[in-house]
Amino acid sequence: MDFKAILTTTFKSRKFQFAIAALAFVAVLPLFVRSEYIVGHVFTVMLIFAIYASSWNLLAYSGQGSLGHAAFLGIGGFTSALLAKSVGLPPIVGLFIGGLVSAGIGLLVGLACVRLKAWFLAMVTFGFSVIIVTIFIQFDSVFRGVIGFATLSFVPQVLPFYYGTLAIATSSIVAIFLVMKSKWGLAFKAIRENEQEAKMIGINTAKYRLLAFIISTFFAGLAGGLLAESQLFIQNDIFNAENSFLPLIMAVIGGLGTIEGPIIGSIVIVSIDSFLPLTDKFLQPLNPFFPGVSNVGPPLRMVGLGLFLILVVIFLPKGITSLLHKLYDYLREGETKKVKKNEGN
Amino acid sequence: MILPPITSSGLAQALLFGVVNGCIYILLATGLNLIFGVMKLVNFAHGQLLMVGAFVAYEVTTIAGLNPYVSILVSMGSVALVGIMLEKFAFRKVRGTEKLNEIFISLGLIYVFQNVATLLWVENYNIQIPSPLSGLSFPLGEVLLSYDRTLAIVSVIVILIGLVLLTKKTKIGLAMRATSQKSDAAMLMGININRVYVFTFAVGAALAGAAGALYGIIFNFNPAIGALPTIKAFAIIILGGLGSIPGAVIGGLLYGIAENAAGYLSNGTWQDAVAFALLIIVLVIRPTGLFGEKGE
Repeated sequence: MDFKAILTTTFKSRKFQFAIAALAFVAVLPLFVRSEYIVGHVFTVMLIFAIYASSWNLLAYSGQGSLGHAAFLGIGGFTSALLAKSVGLPPIVGLFIGGLVSAGIGLLVGLACVRLKAWFLAMVTFGFSVIIVTIFIQFDSVFRGVIGFATLSFVPQVLPFYYGTLAIATSSIVAIFLVMKSKWGLAFKAIRENEQEAKMIGINTAKYRLLAFIISTFFAGLAGGLLAESQLFIQNDIFNAENSFLPLIMAVIGGLGTIEGPIIGSIVIVSIDSFLPLTDKFLQPLNPFFPGVSNVGPPLRMVGLGLFLILVVIFLPKGITSLLHKLYDYLREGETKKVKKNEGN
Repeated sequence: MILPPITSSGLAQALLFGVVNGCIYILLATGLNLIFGVMKLVNFAHGQLLMVGAFVAYEVTTIAGLNPYVSILVSMGSVALVGIMLEKFAFRKVRGTEKLNEIFISLGLIYVFQNVATLLWVENYNIQIPSPLSGLSFPLGEVLLSYDRTLAIVSVIVILIGLVLLTKKTKIGLAMRATSQKSDAAMLMGININRVYVFTFAVGAALAGAAGALYGIIFNFNPAIGALPTIKAFAIIILGGLGSIPGAVIGGLLYGIAENAAGYLSNGTWQDAVAFALLIIVLVIRPTGLFGEKGE
C-alpha cells in the first residue's frame, strides 16, 4: 500500500474521525471550564499522563512490563529542569534533551534487560528506580532534588501551557500510534505473543526489544519534563514507586495494547485522584471505626484502586476500551436495524 | 558527614546480622520459589504477606499475650488462609493468560494490602513485637548476638527442615513435585491440579507469614515494609536459581551478608542500591541466575 492509499483509508476510518472529534473537544474544553485549577492541575496532568501511560503501553506492547518507569520520568524531568535552570537553555529544548537523555539511559537498561523474562525484567526495572533515587540523594549537590527547586515552563502557565502540552501530547501519541502500526509494531507484537517463534521467523528480537525500550523511555522522559514544568517544581519524589505503577494501572484499566486505552486510563485515574477527594467529607462517619487514621478517604481510595485493577484484569482483560467498543457496536447495530426497518416499510 | 571508623569487629557484627537478615529473606524467597516452581506464577505481593504476618503476630502477642515464638504458628496459619483466598479468587482467574496479568493482579494486591493495613493498624506505626528476650545477648567471639536473633535462625532452620520433609516425604509433596515438572502429565496421572495449586500457595504464604513474625520480632515494622523484602526475595531467587531450595538458602545468606556489608561500609546509604546493582550485574551476565538452569 502506498502512502497516499494509507492516508485515504485513514481519513475514511471511523476511528480517525473519532480522534479528530475528541481532539477538537479537548481543544475547546478550557474555554468552557473557566477554573484555572481544573485546567492547570487536572486537564494538563491528564495530557501528560496520557503521554506517560502511552509510553509504558508501547513497552508492554513488546511484552516488556516495566515496574520502574518513574526512573525515566524523573530523569527526563530533572534533565530538562536543570538544563533550563543552570545552563539557561530554553525549556522547550530542554524538554527534548530530557527525553533523549532518558532514552539514552533507557538504552543501557534495555541492554541489561534484553534477555530477561517478564518477571525478572519487572524486578530489574524496579531495582533500577531504587538505584537512581539513591544516586540522586547521594549527589544532591548536583541534582538538588532532596529539597527540590522551581522549574521554568516553556510557555506561560495555565492556558498557553495547556495548549502547548496538548500539541506535544497529540504528536507523541500519533508517533506512538505510527510505531505500533508499523513493521516495528508488528515485530513487537510477535515478540509479545511468543518470543521463540518470533526469533524463528527471523525477527531480531533483541533489536526490537531494545527499540521498544528506547522509544518508550524517550516519551517517558518527555512526559517527565512536562510534569516538572506543569508543577513549576521538581523534587526527588518524582521517583516514587507510585509514579512507576500509575502508567501501568492507567494502561491496564484503559485497555492494554490499544492506542486509546492509556488515554482513557489517564482520564479515569487523574479524575479519580482529583475529584474523589471532594467526597471525603461523606466518609467522615467511618472515621471512628479506624482510629489510627485521621482521614479514611485516601487509604480507602487506594484499596478501591487496587480492587478496581484486579477486577478489570479478571473480568475486562481489554479494559474500558472494550466496553466502549461494545457500546459503539451496539449503537451501530441499533442504527442499522432502524435503517432496515425503514427500508422494510 | 562523619563516618564511624570501620573496624574488623564492626564488620564481623554486620556480617552476622547479615546472616540473620538472610535467614528471613530465605523464608520469603523459598515461599516465592515454591509457588513459582509448582505454579509458574510470580506473586509480587509476596512481601505484603510478610507484612500481614508481622501484624498478626503482633496482635496475638499483645492482645492474647502469646509468646512471640508461638505466635509464628498463628501467623503462618492465618497468612496461609489469606494465600488460599488469593489463589482461589484472584490468581486462578488469570491462569493460562498472559504473564503480565499476574504482575497486574499482584500490583493491585499490593495496593489493597498496604492500605487495608494502614486503615487497621497505622496507629501502631513502626512497632516491634515485644519479646521476653529482647535486649539479652551473648558474646560470640568478639561480637554480640542477641537471643532473639539466634532463635530466629533456629526457627528458620526448623521451618526449612519441615518444608523439605513436606516436599520429599508426603504424598502431597510428591504431587507438588510432579506438578512442577509437568502439570499436564500430572493432571493425567490423576492429580487434582487445583488442589495442589491451592496447597502450594498456602504453604508459600505460610512461609511468608513466618518470615513476617520473625521480622517483627527483630525489626520495627509498618504497613509499607512489604515492598523491599519482595524485591530482595526475588534477588535471592535469581542468585540461587529458580525452583531450588538449597539455591535459595545459599542465595539468601549471600544476599543478607552482601547487603549488610555494603550498608556497613557505606554507612547505610548504599545498602539497597548496591544489592540491586549486584543483582542487575548477575542478571546481565547470566539471565537465568547464578545457579539456575535454563528454565522456562
